[in-house]
Amino acid sequence: MIPAIAYDEVGNELPHRPAALEIEATDVYRLLRPYLSVRFFEQFRAVMPLVVYLALFQLFILRETIAEAGTITFGLVGVIVGLMLFMEGLKVGLMPFGEAIGITLPAKAALAVVIVVVFLLGVGVTFAEPAIGALQTAGSLVSVERAPYLYTLLNHFTMPLVLAVGVGVGFAAVLGTFRFLYGMSLKPFIFFTLVPLLVLTAWMALHPELAKVLGLAFDCGAVTTGPVTVPLVLSLGIGIAHAAGKGSDSLSGFGIVTLASLFPILAVMGLALYVANTVTPAEIIMAHSTAGAGAPTPFYDQTPWAEIIGGLRAIVPLVLFLLFVMVVLLRVRMRHPGIIAFGILLCVAGMIVFNLGLSYGLSKLGSQSGGLVPSAFTRIDAVPSSPLYMFVLGLGIAVGFAWVLGFGATLAEPALNALGITVENLTNGSFRKSTLLYAVSIGVGFGIAAGVAKIIFDIPIAWLLIPGYLVAGALTVVSSEEYVNIAWDSAGVTTGPVTVPLVLAMGLGFGNALGAVEGFGILSMASIGPIIAVLGTGLYIRWKIARRYARDQPRAGI
Amino acid sequence: MSRDLTILTDVSLITCIVQRGKADKVVQTAQEAGASGATIYYGYGSGVRERLGVLGLAIDVEKEIITAMVADDQADRIFERMYFAAELDVPGNGVIYMTRLEKAATFIPKDILDRVHAKGSHRP
Repeated sequence: MIPAIAYDEVGNELPHRPAALEIEATDVYRLLRPYLSVRFFEQFRAVMPLVVYLALFQLFILRETIAEAGTITFGLVGVIVGLMLFMEGLKVGLMPFGEAIGITLPAKAALAVVIVVVFLLGVGVTFAEPAIGALQTAGSLVSVERAPYLYTLLNHFTMPLVLAVGVGVGFAAVLGTFRFLYGMSLKPFIFFTLVPLLVLTAWMALHPELAKVLGLAFDCGAVTTGPVTVPLVLSLGIGIAHAAGKGSDSLSGFGIVTLASLFPILAVMGLALYVANTVTPAEIIMAHSTAGAGAPTPFYDQTPWAEIIGGLRAIVPLVLFLLFVMVVLLRVRMRHPGIIAFGILLCVAGMIVFNLGLSYGLSKLGSQSGGLVPSAFTRIDAVPSSPLYMFVLGLGIAVGFAWVLGFGATLAEPALNALGITVENLTNGSFRKSTLLYAVSIGVGFGIAAGVAKIIFDIPIAWLLIPGYLVAGALTVVSSEEYVNIAWDSAGVTTGPVTVPLVLAMGLGFGNALGAVEGFGILSMASIGPIIAVLGTGLYIRWKIARRYARDQPRAGI
Repeated sequence: MSRDLTILTDVSLITCIVQRGKADKVVQTAQEAGASGATIYYGYGSGVRERLGVLGLAIDVEKEIITAMVADDQADRIFERMYFAAELDVPGNGVIYMTRLEKAATFIPKDILDRVHAKGSHRP
């Protein structure tokens, strides 16, 4: 049992290296079972409540059986397993890179180099974000004749679209890092982004073709801030702030998420303007009708090849970039390269399985229920007995369905729970975790309900977004710094890799069933809702404290 | 009012190191077997994990260290129960050991003290 100590020729002790351990199959099972079950049920808990809600709603309220239940179940298992593999791979394979770079880069490289790396990292993580795949899936549901720019952006400009989003995230990461370094307030950043954003929105809303792209642009902002972007960019930013001797103050983790959800909107709008200047709607429709008659889709555009290539394309560039920074720029040797390689392999495998599950499970289920919900109040072809209820009641059911979906999905989001704990500590307990959870969830609930109402009544999205952001801007002016940080960031954390595809697909299916031009915009409403809700709650708490103080003061005087 | 100190002898300390998040179950088992309480520390450690290759990823480097003081005549039983509750027969799940303590002191409920005195034990 005692290791034999070896000596070299001079008689010095050689370090003992224990041999690898051989263990039996039963031990492997006992070792892996708790490890896997914890991780499986973590994702299971995130996916299942939403799925069960959708299924029950469809069965009992809409009285429709679920078509292709077998395929959807298979796809949902894919989503759960894929997310599980991906998250574990992220932890084992990618996060050590992020941490190592965050610690060593600022010490070894000039600020300009650091900024370039941060920017490129922002672009890279966007490609690796699982929810981005949902945009591609959504593209196939848009009709080319009715929204040509939207169609071409989603189908022919997919790469530039993701790149535009990535550039937005990259700029956000750079500015967020500057904020870490110089301890700047978030408010001016918000104002300087909001002004061009709203002006551009108003201008595009006046153009009938460009107005249809607005929903997509704002939704892209919600898609970006997921489980890859936030931790990787944050770990780098915090590392830089530490190296600069600016210890992390309690608010330093905030702000990047906000900027990373605002800048991509601007970038996508810019891309839309560029497309509008190069091609006309008529050309797009022409190109589509000629291409549609042409060759069958090549094998790499069909499932499952498209998903496999998508998975590789999402992870490999990011890994190559991180490796380049580590090896060429920093000349750091990674410890345990085998484990890291295994983690990256898990990431890729997880992404592929997740993408497959997305196509077969979440997107299918979402568009199916979205497409059937209108049968509650109006006549649609898919349901012969529709409308199922009186118009007003049915409308109430549809909007209520959307509200509960948003509320429930948000309440179950693990990232929000983590934010709640941070916020409670940050405000010395005056802003309770449960208060934040409910404020954000109610905000998302109303946001999604408003988004659905927008599709039903065909309200131009700008009419909802511009007043919404104006209200949020006004509340930002009067709120204190902590609440501004919390509120704007809470909008980003609500949109995880399960909610985004489901809500996107639901909106598009809903829009298609109603014959609306496009079903985007629900996610963007779900981002603005919590901002207003949390800022409002913050002001209410401040007013309550002030009132208690004013009431206690005279008594203390006696 | 004078305050008394009662020295306890014939006690052992059981220390059990498990992966993070698994201590609660072990502590509960120990208490059900007769331990009066337990203290948990956090730490991290290595050993088997590094020798398992990729399988080692299933083992958390963060550990919980449980210490529990137990009476000597129950020590072996509690030790055994904790060993199985923590599933220490699985590689990487941790280690458990017991040390003799010279003496210990803590709060002792009055009725127990009275009972001991009635039996004729001497006061320290």
